[in-house]
Amino acid sequence: MKKIDIVAYKCKKCGKLHFPQHDRCLACKGREFEKIAPQGNAKLITFSQIFNLPWGFDNRFIFVGVAEFENGVKAMGQIAANAPADLKLGMTLKPTWDVVRVISGENVYGLKFEPIR
Amino acid sequence: MRPVAIVGAGMIPFGRRDDDNLMDMLAYASLNALDDAGLGDKGVQAVYVANMGAGMLNHQMSVASALVDRLSLLPAAAESIENGPASGASAIKNGLLAVASGYYDLVLVVGGEKMRDVSGWRATDFVASMTHPTAEYIYGITLPGMAGMFTRLYMQKYGVTREHLVQVAIKNQEMGALNPYAHVESRITHEGIVDSWHSRVNNPPVADPLHLYDVCPVSDGAAAVILAPLDRVKEFKKTPIVIAGFGQATDTHTLQERDDPTDLKAVTLAAQQAFEMAKMKPSDIHVAELHDAFTILEIAESEHVGFFKKGEGAKAVEQGKTKLGGQIPINVSGGLKARGHPVGATGVAQVVDIVWQLRHELPKERQVQNAVNGLTVNFGGFGNNVLSFILRRGDK
Ligand SMILES: [Zn+2]
Repeated sequence: MKKIDIVAYKCKKCGKLHFPQHDRCLACKGREFEKIAPQGNAKLITFSQIFNLPWGFDNRFIFVGVAEFENGVKAMGQIAANAPADLKLGMTLKPTWDVVRVISGENVYGLKFEPIR
Repeated sequence: MRPVAIVGAGMIPFGRRDDDNLMDMLAYASLNALDDAGLGDKGVQAVYVANMGAGMLNHQMSVASALVDRLSLLPAAAESIENGPASGASAIKNGLLAVASGYYDLVLVVGGEKMRDVSGWRATDFVASMTHPTAEYIYGITLPGMAGMFTRLYMQKYGVTREHLVQVAIKNQEMGALNPYAHVESRITHEGIVDSWHSRVNNPPVADPLHLYDVCPVSDGAAAVILAPLDRVKEFKKTPIVIAGFGQATDTHTLQERDDPTDLKAVTLAAQQAFEMAKMKPSDIHVAELHDAFTILEIAESEHVGFFKKGEGAKAVEQGKTKLGGQIPINVSGGLKARGHPVGATGVAQVVDIVWQLRHELPKERQVQNAVNGLTVNFGGFGNNVLSFILRRGDK
């Protein structure tokens, strides 16, 4: 399985976690950050099953959601599901790193979450 | 800062305008506003053009320079303003500040978008390009998808139901059917879009829990206003409409970085600034145009600007408080839902609709009786750049 290639940024002054990157801390304006990798499984915060997809998708629909990792990093990702009933807010998801989109013929990798049953 | 009034307003019908390109639409709406102001062959000193996607959708840049040439407004100052779906209100704000500062006296602001040149999936991709390139866009998230995620949280937190959203859609399409400028001119019935056999075909999910009729259409269109200092309004025929207040605020690019993703902070702040400047409170407003790109947003914004407490917007819809004749009529024009949402035009169109309301020049079936004060909310991105105006009927 591919390694999850996401970097979150923890403010060295106040500890606030950021993802994606900022140049100044959203809380204290600090400019120094410690790079943090998301850890463990993730908890589903919200999601949508999207049917009208943008250019470059052949699927009939995709599930996209936001989840929070065990160390507090929050990130968007695609979710493996067939119907909204497969998912419940607060449920645990297993993060994987896979192709999420093809842009100009290139595979783009990103987060893909799998519900833990 | 000197007070500024709107002395001319114009629009062209929104929808699918196969015969017109972007420049045609910007020109027609501008001419309507110039004529409405009675400017005849006179010019303006500056032109602000709101447009989000000419570069991506129409392969044209510097549309403001092209427009002043086409309208023979040379050598007026001209620039294009791109601020996502809030471009329209941003352009008005820039025109307002230019006149308020005393630098210019007469300013044309026009917003327009030609979206039907490209296929639906290209248009969806164009709008999605506002999202964060590496943390959001790559996942195939769309603006309806963002709204779907927001709706799911709003439903969970405040008990908003699909039925509430349906009521907003029915209300706005009912009003749109009366508006000759609206893209969607058909009424819808409850049975046609919920719980019936044909509703599954008519109203499929687009971005669960949102369905087709929760989402605004992809439209072509343009709208324009003429601004002048209040002390010159006697030179114009129409009842002046004063820009009594405005506000603008921003929020985090991604939804995930908001402490409470159901809290549209930029909407609250923009409206607060507008109320403070206008020395008014929400109960002073008689008519409002809110940015209902998705039905949930009309409910959420009605709470965030202060018409209703958080969590009570849906109940207000249920009780008919937001209908024409209700406590605070919202989107009497049909809103983005029915008028349509040519992204660069919307913020200007909202102001034009309020101008018409405050001048009392609309037909009875869509005129808010004796309206004096009106409010707009133009919502950019997914709430990361929001503008609000408060307009007041001025006296001659
Ligand atoms: Zn900090």
